[in-house]
Amino acid sequence: MNADRTNTLLNVSDLEVSYQKLKVLFGVSVYVKKGENVVLVGRNGAGKTTLFRTIAGFIKKGKGNIVYKGKEIDRLEAYEVAQRGLKYIPQDKQVFSDLTVRENLELGSYATKDHEWDTVLVHFPKLKTLLDRKAGNLSGGERQMLLITMALLGRPELVLMDEPTEGLAPQLVKELKDAFKEINRHTTLFIIEQNLPLTAEVADRVYSMKEGKIVAETTARDDIKEMVFEKYL
Amino acid sequence: MNKKVKTVLGPFILVVLLSISRYLFSSKMTFITEIAIYSLFVMGNNILYGYLGMVSFGQPFYLSIGAWTSAIFLAYIGHNPILAMLLGIAGGVITGFVLGPFFIRLRGDYFALINAALCAIGVFVFQKLLIGITRGEDGLWFRTQMSRVRLLDIRLPNNFFFFVMIIFFIVLVLYSHMNNSVLGSSFKALKVNERKMRFLGFDTFRIRWIGFILASALSSLSGSLYALNLGFVNPSLGETHRAAEVLVATLLGGSGTVYGPFFGALGFLGIKDLVSRWVTRWELVVGVITLIVMFRFSKGIWGGIRKVSLKIYDRDERSAGRCGRQRS
Ligand SMILES: Nc1ncnc2c1ncn2[C@@H]1O[C@H](COP(=O)(O)OP(=O)(O)O)[C@@H](O)[C@H]1O
Ligand SMILES: [Mg+2]
Repeated sequence: MNADRTNTLLNVSDLEVSYQKLKVLFGVSVYVKKGENVVLVGRNGAGKTTLFRTIAGFIKKGKGNIVYKGKEIDRLEAYEVAQRGLKYIPQDKQVFSDLTVRENLELGSYATKDHEWDTVLVHFPKLKTLLDRKAGNLSGGERQMLLITMALLGRPELVLMDEPTEGLAPQLVKELKDAFKEINRHTTLFIIEQNLPLTAEVADRVYSMKEGKIVAETTARDDIKEMVFEKYL
Repeated sequence: MNKKVKTVLGPFILVVLLSISRYLFSSKMTFITEIAIYSLFVMGNNILYGYLGMVSFGQPFYLSIGAWTSAIFLAYIGHNPILAMLLGIAGGVITGFVLGPFFIRLRGDYFALINAALCAIGVFVFQKLLIGITRGEDGLWFRTQMSRVRLLDIRLPNNFFFFVMIIFFIVLVLYSHMNNSVLGSSFKALKVNERKMRFLGFDTFRIRWIGFILASALSSLSGSLYALNLGFVNPSLGETHRAAEVLVATLLGGSGTVYGPFFGALGFLGIKDLVSRWVTRWELVVGVITLIVMFRFSKGIWGGIRKVSLKIYDRDERSAGRCGRQRS
């Protein structure tokens, strides 16, 4: 890799992670520069979620290191990583379903001491009309919007999203895509995505993962569209 | 309705209703006092069980900390019952603060059991080890040591009733405020998805610790008032079988709610009072009734009341709504 590495926000090098005895990541190295929108693709079971969970501090690594804003974060608790401005939105789309949308947002605010909702709600104005609705009654798309909004509270510098568009209707995927572009103007994004056309449209750079290793990296739009995926997916 | 108004209005209505009952059924005054005191105990357990989802088989220990702190203070050191109560609360806070970090790390079943063990140890300590101070089985009497405090001589049962009502009101307002605040939401959120809370940036350990301290403090307050009410404490107060009782009361009333604990205390003590006159194994009857309530209304008595009143409200709303919609 001979890319320009100034302004690196997140740098993961030679990461190895196992679940008990089962090794899942074999020396993964990735980096994300400030302002980028990096997408990670790869088949189910490739280890993408495991990589994100490890960065977020939820799984302890075996070997390697994770540096965020110049500091090692791999010994921190998940909540400490979040407090440093690196947020993770898991794949499961789980909100606090017994609480209202407002209460969900209040939790996000309280954790980060950020009570300025207007600046984060601009991306999804629809949520404003749903504030008193129980989060459990939201549609899948609305839930994802709520999760993204909650994660954006506290103005994180880097947000990791695990398959945010999975299972959503095309219209919603388009809405999210526009939101990603908007959010990316002030927030660095690292997204796991299976939707290739969307990836081609939003990504600045793409990593492809297979069987626990990074097997390709590209910035060329044409590559993103065709070559990489046909070869590795 | 405005949340802030609701926070004060609900407790106010409840306490006024209890005060009216005190005059309607004047022979039941002591019983109503006991229900309010027991409610505080249930409210403590409700924070653990209802809000945080932690089952403890040792809540009587925290109850007895408050009772013994107040009793020992009044028997040997001072005379002011209100100070005795404040010390009881402080005892609960300190106990929760010190034990919390060790206990809340434990997985659910271990948490339940270590509290049961603590409870058994507590009984042993108060009954045998500290027999010189606590007088063991005989119990510690201090009624005559209590002095009159300005404004309200709570040695008189009638005054004590109103004193308990005031405390109950204050605690209910705070509890209701907690329920509506972010702290209440974070308790509930922690119960369903701790991992997500951590991704949001919450130190979930600390939240649980706060809950544990609050539970301990409420139990101790209840224990203190119990002691002041009787003028006497003995070690049976902390016995392990009472742990099951407070769990049953929590379920019966409706866990994870503000008013559930009151209805749990009312239901539990009420059934016990009625049934134990006729049947010696009153526990069986309480158990069966709890099961019936739980099957009928999964959220206990208070959940049932809310469900029924929502239905009525809904019907009114709908008939009112129909006219409204025609206009538009
Ligand atoms: N909690 C777990 N315990 C054991 N194995 C797991 C666990 N989570 C994932 N794995 C395994 O790790 C591998 C990578 O999974 P994952 O990171 O979820 O992949 P992806 O997100 O790319 O689909 C898979 O083989 C999966 O079965
Ligand atoms: Mg995955």
